[in-house]
Amino acid sequence: MSFNIHPLQDSDGSIRNSKKRGIHSTTLAAWGFAMPLIVYLAVFYVTPLIQNIFMSLHRFTRRTFVTGDAPWSGIQVYQEVLGNPKFWTILVQTLLFVVLSIIFQYSLGLALAVFFNQNFRLSAVLRGAFLVPWLLPPMISGTIWQWMMDADTGVINKVIGFFGGSPIWWLQADHSLWSVIIANIWLGIPFNMVILYSGLQNINQDLYEAASLDGCNYWQRFWKITFPLLKPVTMITLLLGFVYTLKTVDIIWIMTKGTGTSRTLATWAYEMAFGKGTSATIRYSEASVVGTILIAIALIFAFAYLRAQGSERSKQ
Amino acid sequence: MHNLFIKRFATICSAVAIVASLAACGSSNQSANTIGFWDPYPQKNASSTWEAFVKRCAPEGYKIKRTGYPQSDLLNNLTTAVKAGNAPQIALIDNPKMPTAVDAGLVTDIKAAGINTKGYDSNIEAPGIIDHVQYGISYGSNALGLYYNPKILEKAGVDPASIKDWASLNKAIEQVVASGSKGITFAGISGEEGTFQFLPWFWGAEGDLKHPKSQAETDALNLVSDWVRKGWAPKSVSTDNQSAAWDAFLTDQYGFSENGSWQAESAKEKGYGMIPIPGKSGGVAPVPTGGEFITIPTQKKADKDLSKATAKVINCLVDGDNLKKTNDEMVYLAAKRSVRNQQVQENQIWAPWVKPIEQAKGRTSDIGLKYEDVSAQLSEDLQEALNQR
Repeated sequence: MSFNIHPLQDSDGSIRNSKKRGIHSTTLAAWGFAMPLIVYLAVFYVTPLIQNIFMSLHRFTRRTFVTGDAPWSGIQVYQEVLGNPKFWTILVQTLLFVVLSIIFQYSLGLALAVFFNQNFRLSAVLRGAFLVPWLLPPMISGTIWQWMMDADTGVINKVIGFFGGSPIWWLQADHSLWSVIIANIWLGIPFNMVILYSGLQNINQDLYEAASLDGCNYWQRFWKITFPLLKPVTMITLLLGFVYTLKTVDIIWIMTKGTGTSRTLATWAYEMAFGKGTSATIRYSEASVVGTILIAIALIFAFAYLRAQGSERSKQ
Repeated sequence: MHNLFIKRFATICSAVAIVASLAACGSSNQSANTIGFWDPYPQKNASSTWEAFVKRCAPEGYKIKRTGYPQSDLLNNLTTAVKAGNAPQIALIDNPKMPTAVDAGLVTDIKAAGINTKGYDSNIEAPGIIDHVQYGISYGSNALGLYYNPKILEKAGVDPASIKDWASLNKAIEQVVASGSKGITFAGISGEEGTFQFLPWFWGAEGDLKHPKSQAETDALNLVSDWVRKGWAPKSVSTDNQSAAWDAFLTDQYGFSENGSWQAESAKEKGYGMIPIPGKSGGVAPVPTGGEFITIPTQKKADKDLSKATAKVINCLVDGDNLKKTNDEMVYLAAKRSVRNQQVQENQIWAPWVKPIEQAKGRTSDIGLKYEDVSAQLSEDLQEALNQR
């Protein structure tokens, strides 16, 4: 084994020599191997991030973007965005979208994972069927949801009508947030189910056996064994779900174009950055400010996760 | 020992080089005898007659590289291309975006480049002329009209000729709905497409884009939102684009559809008729011109020969008989009366469209760059109105 780690040894056979000079060249080799990754991260991650912050601190319009002489504006654009009452409305909508999506995605995903973990006949086939929302391109699932939620001809209203209810104008401005949340929950269940299912498979079956010998019922086994042992997997699922949901544009855009209450920080930034939505005016700086705020929110949760993980480790 | 070190170093270098070249390969697709040509017609693929027609215009020793972008992306892509110094030689820009393109310095004086701009209709060319400089040539225009389904109107006892103003239009829709059919489809989607469809009602109520917040706006908003509230128009209009509105009309359940001249062929096949959009108290409402401007984007490096070849391509696209071909390709009516007459002679479906196009107004003609904000405001207001419960 060690032969492979220090290939210098087999090249000139002198161990002493290689030890003396090996520190230098193995460090260099390590850097060499890391280099492609470092360059990749620098080009594709760090540069856009810096560019984003740079643009949020200058006043960019389409013209100044081309000429390259966007004036320095410091935190002025931040003040404008934060001072805009629209921002706070959209922030609340975003948080509702994210929190409700995650709560339901997680709990329904967990319920399905526990259900499929019993490994009954056909469970593998059914589990596969539940992955469909994940495999469909959002373009397609978004269009299908839009079609199903159509106020006049949608199948959901037909079903409601069949049971005697009055039709709902799903995509109307005041309701559109709830409609996109429903679609997004459906979209996120398979992801939660798959990760939680693999977490469940790592739980030692002996624990359940011991618990039932001690007279635990099903709920006690779930809350005293499954749930606590699933905590590390739960945390990473929630963190990933949080980030995915926070940056969701596609499903919302296809269903409502981010109009009415369904406008989130992510769709708002998209609108401003590319002149989509109601206004064709490009607002690079404002979009960058919202982008930076989104990154900050995601980072806060990432650090919260790392802390929680750290305290989990120190407990063990 | 030394050898190995060199080998390793070489590996590292090549790894870095691969990454670096990946990052760099985006920008070097220009050569001295290639004329880049961007248009917003991605539906026209490499084997389309349009592509062949454009390529035939390449002067001796040059070839044309055509790229079709979605309408909503073309200007953004052009913005980054001009900044990066790899803009195409020719770009076709949607007419309401001309003031923006000029303001950002993306396009250049087309007369100075040696293009003949005489003989075109001034209402169609107006959006491309900013501060007395002409930045592009619009070869033609489409227009909006009110299509109707004769079978449904007959069943409801409605004579399309009786529709002269908003009151008679509302009466006609009401009769259609009373007879068991649905009323009218149109596109109220947020953004320019919805504004484009709203403007004939706004202008038809004597609205002025210089003062968008007006009684005319309120009247026009009430007209279209009442259709939704009364169930005459589908609730999905606030997210429907023009093709969705047309698809709904094609189900043969609706009496009317506000849609564009580009559907004329499809309408003929289905036996639909068309009347001009009426003004509030009679007459024909002005509709916005719809079409693209052929422009010459700003280049970082001047190349005299390439510029001359570019001008030749543009002249080829709009000279003589080719102006008709270009318009036939796009299903537009030409921006020259003589060519338009020829189009009507050849295909009678164009006859009812001549008047709306001759009376059409450029969206940016009156207010230039300000149109961007005005359009956004109208779009916000339209969304709010169409979403009233």
